[in-house]
Amino acid sequence: MTNQNDNKKHHRDIFIVWALLTVIGVLVGLYATPWLMPKSASHTMSMGILTMVIFTVAAAPVAALVYAVCLYALTIWRHRGEGVPADGPAIRGNGPATVLWLVGSTVLTLFLLIWGLGLLGSDQSAGAKASIEAANGGSAEITVDVTAQQWLWSFSYPGTHVKSLDLYLPVNKDVEFNVTSKDVVHGFWIVQMGIKVNANPGVITTTSVTPDKIGTYTIRCTEICGLDHAFMMTKVHVVSEADFQKWLASQPTRI
Amino acid sequence: MTTTLEHLTPVGADPAGGGLHRRLNFFTALIFGGLSAFIAWALSHHFLNSDGSGFSDQVTVLASIGWVLGFELGIGALTPIGRWIIGKDQVRDDELYLAGKNMGVRRHWKYCTDHKVVGVQYIVVTAILLGAGGILAMGIRTNLMTPGLHFVNQQVYNSFLSVHGMVMILALIVAVAGPWANFVVPIMVGARDMAFPRLNALSLWTLVAAIPLLLGSLAIGGLDMGWVTQAPISEQTGVGFDLFAMAIVTFTISTTVAGINTICTVMTMRTKGMNLERLPIFVWASVVAAALGLYAFPFFLVVMSLNLADRMVGTSFFVASQGGTGWLQENLFWLMGHPEVYVILIPAVGALMEITTVFARKPLFSYRTALGSMVSLAGLSALVWAHHMFTTGWAPSLGGPFMVTTEMISIPTGLMFLVILGTLWRGNIWMRLPMYWVFGFLFNFIIGGVTGIYLSDIPVDNQMHGTMFVVAHFHYVFVGSVLFGAIGALCFWYPKVTGRFLDERLGKLSFWLVFVGVQVTFLSMFVSGLRGMSRRYSSYEMIFEHTNLISTMGAYTIMAGMLVLLGAVITSWTGGEPSGPNPWKSKTLEWLVPTPVPLENFEVLPVITSDPYTYGEAQ
Repeated sequence: MTNQNDNKKHHRDIFIVWALLTVIGVLVGLYATPWLMPKSASHTMSMGILTMVIFTVAAAPVAALVYAVCLYALTIWRHRGEGVPADGPAIRGNGPATVLWLVGSTVLTLFLLIWGLGLLGSDQSAGAKASIEAANGGSAEITVDVTAQQWLWSFSYPGTHVKSLDLYLPVNKDVEFNVTSKDVVHGFWIVQMGIKVNANPGVITTTSVTPDKIGTYTIRCTEICGLDHAFMMTKVHVVSEADFQKWLASQPTRI
Repeated sequence: MTTTLEHLTPVGADPAGGGLHRRLNFFTALIFGGLSAFIAWALSHHFLNSDGSGFSDQVTVLASIGWVLGFELGIGALTPIGRWIIGKDQVRDDELYLAGKNMGVRRHWKYCTDHKVVGVQYIVVTAILLGAGGILAMGIRTNLMTPGLHFVNQQVYNSFLSVHGMVMILALIVAVAGPWANFVVPIMVGARDMAFPRLNALSLWTLVAAIPLLLGSLAIGGLDMGWVTQAPISEQTGVGFDLFAMAIVTFTISTTVAGINTICTVMTMRTKGMNLERLPIFVWASVVAAALGLYAFPFFLVVMSLNLADRMVGTSFFVASQGGTGWLQENLFWLMGHPEVYVILIPAVGALMEITTVFARKPLFSYRTALGSMVSLAGLSALVWAHHMFTTGWAPSLGGPFMVTTEMISIPTGLMFLVILGTLWRGNIWMRLPMYWVFGFLFNFIIGGVTGIYLSDIPVDNQMHGTMFVVAHFHYVFVGSVLFGAIGALCFWYPKVTGRFLDERLGKLSFWLVFVGVQVTFLSMFVSGLRGMSRRYSSYEMIFEHTNLISTMGAYTIMAGMLVLLGAVITSWTGGEPSGPNPWKSKTLEWLVPTPVPLENFEVLPVITSDPYTYGEAQ
């Protein structure tokens, strides 16, 4: 009977430690994650940040359980004294505990999967979805051809004469990027908009986004592409529609 | 298997055989390898068309092949088969000489078939690889200490990056399976040696032959392709790449031979009563990892060979302008690359489970769950490779399915946690040195695992792929988890190898340095990634200044911890506190034989009546 009482006490104590650690983990997820990430400039990015928050919150109880049992083992179950400790109880498994663990982790995984797949399928977000649409003939309001080469980006706007080394985009317009490379593989990433696709030589890949905040943002290369990989970056200027048209008109015919 | 070489010779007598082997050792191997490489270089220089494209690649590859073959010849790997062909097969005394009977320390420099010698040789090789990779890591982190430091120039930096990645991957592939699947697995199953002792020596010395190629590629330099050898940059980069790729080709031969040997040993050499459900869990971990390696590493061989063919002879497997595609390279690479993560991880987890039962004084919690989690991880890991390619643009419609398989990985991974936590549950936790690494592993692997789930989610991966966040994630898995498992295994089995304890005080000091170092380095690296720093940057802007400086300080701390550990390993080898044959009072067979373990391990082969996890049960 002492065994059962012991077990109850262990369960209660571990539950308290677990609850405390879970609260800490949830708080970290809710506040630290969005604070550490760049300020979002698109719905895609906002949903990405929200997903990070949700995943951290969902992971908090799991991590807290592992840490609670570890803390308990390190303090209460620790053998104090010299020499080899006596044998512990011969527990060769516990069917209900294993099933509970399996069901719990499966439910959690399913939840994350459904959330992720739902997000992937929703039309407001996710670059990969956009690539499928584009392959079937996309319906974006603006198209930009992106060309990568060692070690710069250049942008041209089909239907206009404009070519530029900085990217200009009108706010709240659905933009599709057709991305390719002149030499090796580069990675096209708009840091504050949560979209990324590789620039491959000989192939056009696509991604799309709707910028929702006027401002200046950063494009970086994410695939190692030689000596100046670290310096292969440029600016994105998200401007109002009127300013965008003004900018287009002000561009020289050749650069 | 019941006959023993040992008992056929008078005790203490040196074997009279050996023949040619008496003259061959590591140094003759170096000389033969060097000569042979030079001859291959000179011949190919003379006969190949020096105006043709790919000439320097052809010469480099042929010289590398010359090196490997010469090295094998010089170490004596080909002597037994040569004797067999000319009809002068090895006799018993020759085999005894090969097994290093009464030879002393000298046998470690030779083509020795004793599995325990091979195990010790693997410890040394792992230490050399970790040391080389660690020095490169320090170079990388020093360069990134402040923005625009240029401690080394960009060309050297990229070479450091590429070789650091590959050296560390090779180091971790062999870090647990190399020393311990060789040293302890045969004893654990009650065998006198591996199933193929000569192949065992072959796998070790083939690995040794690969190391100068890999480190030599660094000397030639200009490696701009990263460890993933992405095409087409890997087709254009300098001749150092030819050595780099030949090192991998050589390495895959080594691991294939080793994997076959491990599987055959466990399947055919078990002693009486050692049925499959009585195998210690580490034996299963070694077998599952070896089998997974046999699936994965052929892709490694193929992707490197196709790349070399493109460079040497003008094929165009990965050249887009000539009908090839870089996506083929990426697919082949990750078909290897993801299973390889589990080839690395599973033996480490198996060793940690073994340690946990001994130091919690409890049976393994749910043996079948442990086995099931390993097997299902191995199976699933073959079906997730394209999650490394979510943002490449290849087959967007496969994103969803690969997201499903990838997230399913978290279920068997969770079961591994359940097994270790369940084993700790209500145990009498004996906090000796090996146990520190178990708790360190549990702490770090949760962080590495959870951040992996973020990355498996495509909308998040679209943001995080190719950033320092990914680098921090897999370093939590490789350094925080696998390396902790490898060091835990070393601390655990060290008394069996040397008859002495690894210095507990220095060992704990090194644990705390490495543990704190890992948190400092990689937590702040997560922040660099979250804030938008791409990986493989040789320099960065001011916004990443603080997190990078902190990462660099953490990296130095890890290095300090590893140096303390190295010091402890060296000094305790001859000066440590004597341990006796079974200091941890474990029940697996390797602890029940004398220390030092005699040649052929067992006087009389044991008969097994239960599994080794009978803690707290009536005997």
